[in-house]
Amino acid sequence: MRRLPQGVVAALLVLPSGGYLALFFGLPLLLAFLGSFGLYARGGDGGFTLRHYADLFGTQAYRDGLVFSTYLAIVPTLVSLAISLPLAMGLAQTFPGRKLFNALYKVPLVVPGIVAAFIVMTLFDRGGLAARLLTPIGIDLPKIVRDDWAVGVIIATAWKAVPFMTLIIGGSLGAIQKDIILAARTLGATPLTAFWRIQIPLALPGITAAFLLTFIGGMGAFAVPNLLGPVYPLPLSVHMYVNAFERNNWGLVAAMGTMLSLISVLVLLAYYRTTRSLRTAYGGEVR
Amino acid sequence: MTARSGLHPSDGRWITVGLGASLLIALGLPLIVALLWSFMDPATGWFAPDILPPSYALDHWEWAARNGDIAQALLLSVGIGLAVTALTALLALPTAYALAKLPFAMKRAVELFILAPLIVPGIIVAVGIGTIFFRLDLAFSIPGVILVQTVGTLPFMIRVLAATIEAIPNDLINAARSLGAGPAAVARHILIPLAWPGFVAGGLLTFISSFEEFEKTFIIGSPFVQTLPVILWGYLGGRVMVFPTAAVVTFILLVPMLIVFFLAERVLRDDVMAAGMGKL
Repeated sequence: MRRLPQGVVAALLVLPSGGYLALFFGLPLLLAFLGSFGLYARGGDGGFTLRHYADLFGTQAYRDGLVFSTYLAIVPTLVSLAISLPLAMGLAQTFPGRKLFNALYKVPLVVPGIVAAFIVMTLFDRGGLAARLLTPIGIDLPKIVRDDWAVGVIIATAWKAVPFMTLIIGGSLGAIQKDIILAARTLGATPLTAFWRIQIPLALPGITAAFLLTFIGGMGAFAVPNLLGPVYPLPLSVHMYVNAFERNNWGLVAAMGTMLSLISVLVLLAYYRTTRSLRTAYGGEVR
Repeated sequence: MTARSGLHPSDGRWITVGLGASLLIALGLPLIVALLWSFMDPATGWFAPDILPPSYALDHWEWAARNGDIAQALLLSVGIGLAVTALTALLALPTAYALAKLPFAMKRAVELFILAPLIVPGIIVAVGIGTIFFRLDLAFSIPGVILVQTVGTLPFMIRVLAATIEAIPNDLINAARSLGAGPAAVARHILIPLAWPGFVAGGLLTFISSFEEFEKTFIIGSPFVQTLPVILWGYLGGRVMVFPTAAVVTFILLVPMLIVFFLAERVLRDDVMAAGMGKL
């Protein structure tokens, strides 16, 4: 039997999923990118144009939407990170019931975003349970659902993101060799110093990966901001939907998608810079 | 209080108390409130300032049991989930093997391309595919929904499978090959049985992410493909808020997910799960 060269075998093996993603992921993105400049666009004349970008940046609602999408990416991610980091540290300790907690805290991972939004409504909307509990003791809850600062969206998004971030951060904290921390302690580092100077830097690839994925999730979210967010501004994801299916304005939709993808790519590049500089700084220690 | 450095085993109970209280507030309370809503009595309602409903009834659960749309949506969600899982596993296995065991040119580039769907927001993928599906007549169809969901589930499955296959000793594969086993026999008798935990774990998580997927399904399938999340959206996003109905649908959606999730928990080690997502 004649053996095929290994390169050919690898190419054939990669073909099914590679081809699938090229067809149903790469091609649509490429068409959207070209379409945002009016090339090969549905319902366009096919000539190059910057009209859609002029429309995007010339319309106040869309400019505000772009800023708002970025806000909905950054703020929930920071909130989740502030909760996840201590949670991951806590779950790494030994305590009674650890196994149970380790399974239970992950439940929001499988709760759909819409259900998270529904839960926030039942608790924090006007007349929700939080208001019913707090009003008798004289605390007037500010508007949390459909408010200007999108607090409801932030709560729902962070609620879903905390287990995700904790899982990844816990994984990278757990991968650090105990010897390194013990060595630092022997050399006189306090637990806090060891935490900031050893554990955080070594876990940073995991932390930044979790940050990146949560950031992108928040930026593209459609259902949660639509249900819990303010009437104005609307995030770009909602504008995309409205323009695609209610106004049939695909060129503008493509321009919006390209802008959001561009932000994702910029954050991804920042991620690679961070992890690379860490790898250089810590030599072979970063896993 | 004595000055202590770090957490000692005796502090363990405090972690239990602290975590228990946080979990109760962040997870238990919301689910209890949703459960109460689902048992609300339409005759009395549940209005402020009542902390608990004045009386309970099964009306909304009976309504859901009689409602053909919900039963159909549940069946559809399960069917789409199974189809997506099968398609994802089928597409992922050969690529995972190549990434785990074979050296080839531009491997890093292939890895990055396979991960790319994770870093592009789903709505962009969905709207982009939508334009192609219109031409292929796949828009608003069940096959279209299966195809678009698979774009999102494939990267994770390839990751988990590649990590599992990497752990299979090369000697086993080489021995089988030298004894005359062809690639198909190696896949059937060695790879698939030994990578089975990866298939189970990746498969359960793929099923979960298909079952809960909303944005891509909504954009490609709605209004003709009504999965459970799409139906729930209808109850929450409309002009009239139907809390009790939404609560019932929430539990119909949540209970299967939790069962599958706790099954996955048993087979999936945390570090595998973290490695599947936490390294780009």
